[in-house]
Amino acid sequence: MKLSERLTEAIAGGICQIGQVAILPQAGGAGHVLRHIDDGDTAADLLENHHGPAAARDISTWTEDGRYRFTKAEQSLKRGWQLHLADDAELLQALDLFYPAAVGLWLAQQDGRLEVEHLRDKLNRQTGMYRFARNLSDTGAQALVREVCGPANCCVKKILWQIDADTPLEDSEASRYDGIPGDRDRTRALPLLCREACNHFVAEARKASKAESDAKAEKVES
Amino acid sequence: MPFTPKPHAALLIVGHGSTENPDSSTPYFDHADEIRRLGAFGEVHCCFWKEEPSMREAEYLIDAEEVYVVPDFISEGYFTQEVIPRELRLDGPTTRRAGKTWHYTLPVGVHPSMTGLLLARAKEVAPDADPAQTTLFIVGHGTGLNQNSTKAIKDQVALIKSSGAGYAEVLDAYMEEAPLIADWATLATTPNVVVVPFFIADGLHSYQDIPVLLGFEAEPGEAASQREVFRHNPHHLQGKTLYYSSAIGTERHLADVILDQVSDFDAKHLLPK
Repeated sequence: MKLSERLTEAIAGGICQIGQVAILPQAGGAGHVLRHIDDGDTAADLLENHHGPAAARDISTWTEDGRYRFTKAEQSLKRGWQLHLADDAELLQALDLFYPAAVGLWLAQQDGRLEVEHLRDKLNRQTGMYRFARNLSDTGAQALVREVCGPANCCVKKILWQIDADTPLEDSEASRYDGIPGDRDRTRALPLLCREACNHFVAEARKASKAESDAKAEKVES
Repeated sequence: MPFTPKPHAALLIVGHGSTENPDSSTPYFDHADEIRRLGAFGEVHCCFWKEEPSMREAEYLIDAEEVYVVPDFISEGYFTQEVIPRELRLDGPTTRRAGKTWHYTLPVGVHPSMTGLLLARAKEVAPDADPAQTTLFIVGHGTGLNQNSTKAIKDQVALIKSSGAGYAEVLDAYMEEAPLIADWATLATTPNVVVVPFFIADGLHSYQDIPVLLGFEAEPGEAASQREVFRHNPHHLQGKTLYYSSAIGTERHLADVILDQVSDFDAKHLLPK
């Protein structure tokens, strides 16, 4: 069965939220309508109407105050819109623009074929200017998870990776987060999954690793 | 060339993307939309080095068992020869893994059909400039780290020179290695100068850095999509008339070049010789 068909099946089974996007039921199979989860009950004429999956990119690129949302799982999706999609394929395409690969990652997890990449593996395959990120200590990496990940830092993905296969993440709000923003029925939401540390994390790991190295050098000098 | 549709296959367009500039990924999504509109593939997806979905997440987007991976990059080098094969776990032109077959084409920038796009863009940006009185610059990034990064541009310059387009001079120039685009006014001896950035996106380089190097902006401006007014040509600078184009990758017909790379891949690797 195709991904779009499996998604539709999941919606028929009760899934009605992905990240900050609500999927509203439409009578008689008349496509799909998406809104911000906090606009679920807003009267339709108060919302800006969009049609077709490409609009999902326009809606999700900027925050309300005009900041570029390069991390799509940021808890900063703007409100005030509704998006009309004609069929299952358009729905999947739109959701892949709101939350890239989120549906596919979740379905792979359901099938038991989602490959998770631990942080050391991720950092060890960095080349070029990011090679230095490899030197980050475990302590530094654990601290960085608290400083970069989780809802306190605006990211609402559920972290699946560890430092390495034998070293789990220390307990924190970030490590505990379940990938579902809002206080809603967990059984009806598709969680956003983080199968490997993102580019933003790697860039921060590079900075933190350099800071560790500089601190060591200062200690030796003094 | 006409493209035979592949309704059972997926196209994966690989781009660089940016954590700072949203315009960096716009052309890739535009090319994907254009190819969907053409109905050339059963599925069309994008993935990125610096944006989501990452290359490692791409396989989770794809239904089809046969996937054509086209690097929407200008040159062969670090990204196309090292980063993309590593991230997508490709071990040659065709890789079979976990029930999927991945075909890895050459980057769009090295395809001969780019020449026509560059000439069309140069004509479009300076319709009144007589080629015989005009120097055409094709501008790239340039880096001391990889010789290949300038090869695609030098090749295009040679193709344009031999195309009969009639430009007085066709020159390659770079942001970070000689010949430097900052020296455009002394490199060009003609009264008219047309500059086409050989980049995929109107990101930091073509919209912010090169205009400063050319001298018609004092400091890097805002991202392209945040401007109310598109740049106005021509610019009268250093006794010359300068026309500046947006990045060649923003050209709609780049979608055709992506399909050309797929056709070339089939001809080279899949069809019986």
